[in-house]
Amino acid sequence: MEPSDADVIAASLAEPAAFGAIFDRHASTILRYFGRRVEPAAAEGLLGEVFRIAFEQRASFDPSRASARPWLYGIAANLVGRHRRSERRRLHAMARLAARQPTDQNDVVGEQAAGSLDAAEAWSRLAGTVDALPAVEREALLLFAWENLSYDDIADALGVPVGTVRSRLNRARRRLREHDSSKRTQTSRTDLTEADTDDR
Amino acid sequence: MTDELDPLRRLRADDLLPTDPPDAELLAAARRRLLAGIAGTPSDDPVPLPSVYTRLAYRDERAALEFLERAFGFRELRESRMEHPDGMLAWLQLGNGAIMIGRSGTQHHGLTSPIDAGATTAMVMVYVDDIDAHHRQAVAEGATIVSEPEDMFWGDRRYEAFDSEGHRWHFAQRLRPESTTAHS
Repeated sequence: MEPSDADVIAASLAEPAAFGAIFDRHASTILRYFGRRVEPAAAEGLLGEVFRIAFEQRASFDPSRASARPWLYGIAANLVGRHRRSERRRLHAMARLAARQPTDQNDVVGEQAAGSLDAAEAWSRLAGTVDALPAVEREALLLFAWENLSYDDIADALGVPVGTVRSRLNRARRRLREHDSSKRTQTSRTDLTEADTDDR
Repeated sequence: MTDELDPLRRLRADDLLPTDPPDAELLAAARRRLLAGIAGTPSDDPVPLPSVYTRLAYRDERAALEFLERAFGFRELRESRMEHPDGMLAWLQLGNGAIMIGRSGTQHHGLTSPIDAGATTAMVMVYVDDIDAHHRQAVAEGATIVSEPEDMFWGDRRYEAFDSEGHRWHFAQRLRPESTTAHS
């Protein structure tokens, strides 16, 4: 049986090269995460950074976690947070691509988006809404919707209790619903009174 | 499931861009840099992917990967492997050549396993250092031998085999390596 990530990381404290196995197991996942979140040109450098940071911090990895993946996601999420402009451009690039998909796929965004102009506008508004989310909500939301992480893994990745993940996701989902119903008006952030008490 | 996350899921890059990012080399390079950084030494010279290589489709791409390693001596670029719920992608090297393998099906670029096609759809040509040892290994691991090793008039010794799903492979050894260079 293959040793767990925790075993590998423990072994890498004495035998650093063993850490290569952590890269082998998770690098393509983390690279794809960056591919979704930032521009392609930034992804490669960030991938290297994640594993360099992970290697340097490997002594602090919680050995009770069998998988290193949430931990690596957490490091990666921190890095994405420092590349806001690249993230914004990526979101809007995806919105432009989405608008060029066949019309029936756009129906959920606009109500029966008739023309491509409407679709483009609807997708652009959605990208704007996601972009305008508080960073902690956007991260939790996209780890959930794009990476398919469980609440527990998101909590692990972001270093917060599961309850916090749940409340961040609830708030993010509400903002998306407001976006959905308000359509033409940009989601206002001033009408949101709940404060996120444990922002990093 | 229809909810407010549906449109968001459609903004996911994977669903809008080709599903197979050509990042095998990128991952290999990142891995070398990481290990070189860890060891504090310059990294080994990489074997780059060749300019041309083929992608083969299998119903069971995991079994194929294992078979190609055991029977034919391929080595996987493990750091490049892509796991998807609907199929794995892997890159394998032998000498200075490479292949990519994925799952059979219309949603996978329309590439088809010979089992699904009912016909052989490709033959891959491979040069090895010791053809008889290679042949023994292939036989031992259950490859279907199509033609036994034989010396050819042009200076190769070769045999042919089917892999786990019927892709055809042509293995050869250059018996007169000097004949491949210009007369001098």
